[in-house]
Amino acid sequence: MAEYLNLFTRVQVRGPLYAGTPIGRDERYRGKSSGFNYLIGKIGDAQLGPIYLGHLGVLSLFFGFVAFEIIGLNMLASVNWSPIEFVRRLPWLALEPPAPAYGLRFPPLHDGGWWLMAGFFLTLSVLLWWARLYRRARQLGLGTHLSWAFAAAIWLYLVLGFIRPLLMGSWSEAVPFGIFPHLDWTAAFSIQYGNLFYNPFHALSIVFLYGSTLLFAMHGATILAVSRFGGEREVEQAVDRGTAAERAAIFWRWTMGFNATFESLHRWAWWFAALCPIAGGIGILLTGTVVDNWYAWAMQRGYAPSYPSVAPLLIDPALSVGGTR
Amino acid sequence: MTMLSFEKKYRVRGGTLIGGDLFDFWVGPFYVGFFGVLTIFFSVLGTALILYSTALDGVWNPWKISVAPPDLDYGLALAPLRQGGFWQAITVCALGAFISWALRQAEISRKLGMGMHIPFAYGMAIFAYFSLVVIRPVLMGAWGHGFPYGIWTHLDWVSNVGYQYLHFHYNPAHMLAVSFFFATTLALSMHASVVLAAINPGRGEPVKTTEHENTFFRDAIGYSIGTLGIHRLGLFIALSAGFWSAVCIVISGPFWTRGWPEWWGWWLNLPIWAR
Amino acid sequence: MKYRFPLVLAVLIASFFGVVFVLQAFERPPVLSSQTGFRGTGMVQVTNPRSDAILWDRNQVPPPPEAADAEGDRASSIYENVPLLGHLSIEQFGRIMQVMTEWVSPEAGCNGCHVEGDFAAENNYRKQVARRMIEMVRHVNNGWANHVQQTGVTCYTCHRGRPVPEQVWSAAPEQGARGMAASPRMQNRGEPSVGLTSLPHDPFSNYLSGAENIRLQSPTALATGTPHSIQNAESVYGMMMHMSEALGVNCTFCHNTRSFSPWDESRGPRVPAWHGIRMVRDLNTNYIAPLRDILPANRLGPMGDALQVNCATCHQGVSRPLFGAPMLRDYPELASPPAQ
Repeated sequence: MAEYLNLFTRVQVRGPLYAGTPIGRDERYRGKSSGFNYLIGKIGDAQLGPIYLGHLGVLSLFFGFVAFEIIGLNMLASVNWSPIEFVRRLPWLALEPPAPAYGLRFPPLHDGGWWLMAGFFLTLSVLLWWARLYRRARQLGLGTHLSWAFAAAIWLYLVLGFIRPLLMGSWSEAVPFGIFPHLDWTAAFSIQYGNLFYNPFHALSIVFLYGSTLLFAMHGATILAVSRFGGEREVEQAVDRGTAAERAAIFWRWTMGFNATFESLHRWAWWFAALCPIAGGIGILLTGTVVDNWYAWAMQRGYAPSYPSVAPLLIDPALSVGGTR
Repeated sequence: MTMLSFEKKYRVRGGTLIGGDLFDFWVGPFYVGFFGVLTIFFSVLGTALILYSTALDGVWNPWKISVAPPDLDYGLALAPLRQGGFWQAITVCALGAFISWALRQAEISRKLGMGMHIPFAYGMAIFAYFSLVVIRPVLMGAWGHGFPYGIWTHLDWVSNVGYQYLHFHYNPAHMLAVSFFFATTLALSMHASVVLAAINPGRGEPVKTTEHENTFFRDAIGYSIGTLGIHRLGLFIALSAGFWSAVCIVISGPFWTRGWPEWWGWWLNLPIWAR
Repeated sequence: MKYRFPLVLAVLIASFFGVVFVLQAFERPPVLSSQTGFRGTGMVQVTNPRSDAILWDRNQVPPPPEAADAEGDRASSIYENVPLLGHLSIEQFGRIMQVMTEWVSPEAGCNGCHVEGDFAAENNYRKQVARRMIEMVRHVNNGWANHVQQTGVTCYTCHRGRPVPEQVWSAAPEQGARGMAASPRMQNRGEPSVGLTSLPHDPFSNYLSGAENIRLQSPTALATGTPHSIQNAESVYGMMMHMSEALGVNCTFCHNTRSFSPWDESRGPRVPAWHGIRMVRDLNTNYIAPLRDILPANRLGPMGDALQVNCATCHQGVSRPLFGAPMLRDYPELASPPAQ
């Protein structure tokens, strides 16, 4: 009964390290170091590197490092430069955005200025990385699909940290840099604006998040299940269908009456993944700028459910006689 | 019409788990099999029960249709139909349909000489659902801990169950699950992009190869996991997302009754911090 | 290569103990749950019966001494300097002095408040504090029935045999480095006052001493230009964390969390809780904060304010303090002020 499910690579073949497809003069920016790693080779390609470090990459990494340092050092300062307390409280620490009183002005360094700087450098880093991905794809003669998927994520990032705060007129609306603090922000955001679950774009975004996970589970499982027929060679199978692609297609056709092809599946996947941050970004952008209370909005639009009441209805004590004190 | 050009040669008998050749046939594009019959049975019955329940409630707005579980007072006993019994019957139908569907996938996999990855992956989704409506309610002693079957009512349930633990984002398994969901979506976008980029390289360019895909990710991030590896990784992180989702709700209540932020006290109070 | 095996083994053993350590941080079934809303809404209180038993033991009221005869000579006829309790009979007076000693100062006894040998002397600050606290207890019992109901409070509700109640708060000093480094703004520390979250950890100054607005959600669906701030929402969330922890309940005890603010979505206990917040503000502002002037430095917080009350001071992890035991019933002396 035991059968080979191709979950791990049993025999690793070691050819020479591959330097990459030729890109002419710019190959001088490709690193020289690359090597094999046995454990990584158990599930993926055993070759690590080389990486291409052009100007865009170096600048992006540099600005990313600057942002990382600003955040980290301010966290360290918040525990009075104690390394032990830094490790102990690290998940709780954060670099917070400016206080509401500053609006969109540049606040003093200690009161949000560092946050603004960290955000600036991180954004710079992210945008440079976007340009780098675009350039890498173009130089290799590939489509720029990854850049545009990344742009969808950048959209959400910019909505959270830049566009929405601009529209709200205050940097204080943005997300703090910190592990637990950004979770507190998320929860407080939902509470302030009347329950994000009733935000239809939030719901859509989650549909695409779960949908992406479902798709990757279906796709990953399908390809592994036909890997005995060479199913992982998707590009070849897409342009010159073999039995792997046929079986994969027929599996889903027999199962649910519908199938994608080896190419169209990746279009479904791309859109599901990209629409997750796109829809999420729209949902965030509308919150507080257009809609103040999503639950009240849902009541107004008639989609909030109602429940049989199990107890007498309360009256706001602030409105009752003598309740003012 | 109902068959792809190359499909006929794959439509052969055999591979069934139960029922021999009896149900070994197709209806349109659909394969039937014993478990197909079972799936139809459970899903038709379950859907009919939902319609019956909502007819009794007099609710026909699809956004507002909801079937709620019983009161906690019923414990692990059966409840009258209109007091949560519908929910119990529909849950049985749902589990019956889901498990039959997985077994049907297994039969189709056998028929096509494929591995069992798909039914296994689907099994993780069933496990997550089973955790929500069976494992956790049983551990907490009442079917009433299941979630209501409605588009917006289930979100109200999620909200309230989250706030039962004051701040659910601090649930460590929830953190893991969300990270896996995000990671899966990221990985899916990267994988889909590079495949599309190789097949659609732009006007006048020839279709690119696996070498180009590998080179792209090595150039960009220093490592390319490869065509086989990405599907292993994708399956693993997608299933991890489902698995940790199940864990995060099963531990909420049976294994932790207080605010989730408080759970982190063990870290703040580790003896290694003492001075 | 030959070193790899012991290294792998060490990592495996270390992670095994790590996992065991983390797992022991959890609780275990069976747990208790009680429904507080329509079925399937997830409005449920969940508790651990093992922890409940400990809470039960910790929150018991000592049996009251035998009731005193209200007839006979007044205490003021034989004691000097008894403005608050002089109207009691001598027997009642002795009884209330005796239980107050047990409630508040079982170790130091009478000398906790009184100067040895001269009960009428006024030069122990504790005596003045105690007098003010008797006034406060009467004020609570008479004026705040919408929070304490007929249960009432006595000294024991807070003190539990300690001169200073266990659960008190004072303004917290700002932590972290100064200068141009970012100020942590009284949050992001994982303090117990806000249930170990990163939320602002001094909600008390704002809401239990100050009277800042707790209501933050907009009643209208569409934005009206009224400014909100996430920082404010986080502060309120921290306050609510404290209330939940203090009462040993979760958010669904008062709220249907799908919409926190509307009263017609909320549960009954939200009303006494609303009055409770105002009661605590009243007590802190009018009774406790002014004591700063007579309290010695070791009884003040780091910022020089008196140690004030919050929800946990009375509740101590229980939704009805001392599991709702009638506090006032056996101590009518603490109910009404002396007839003027």
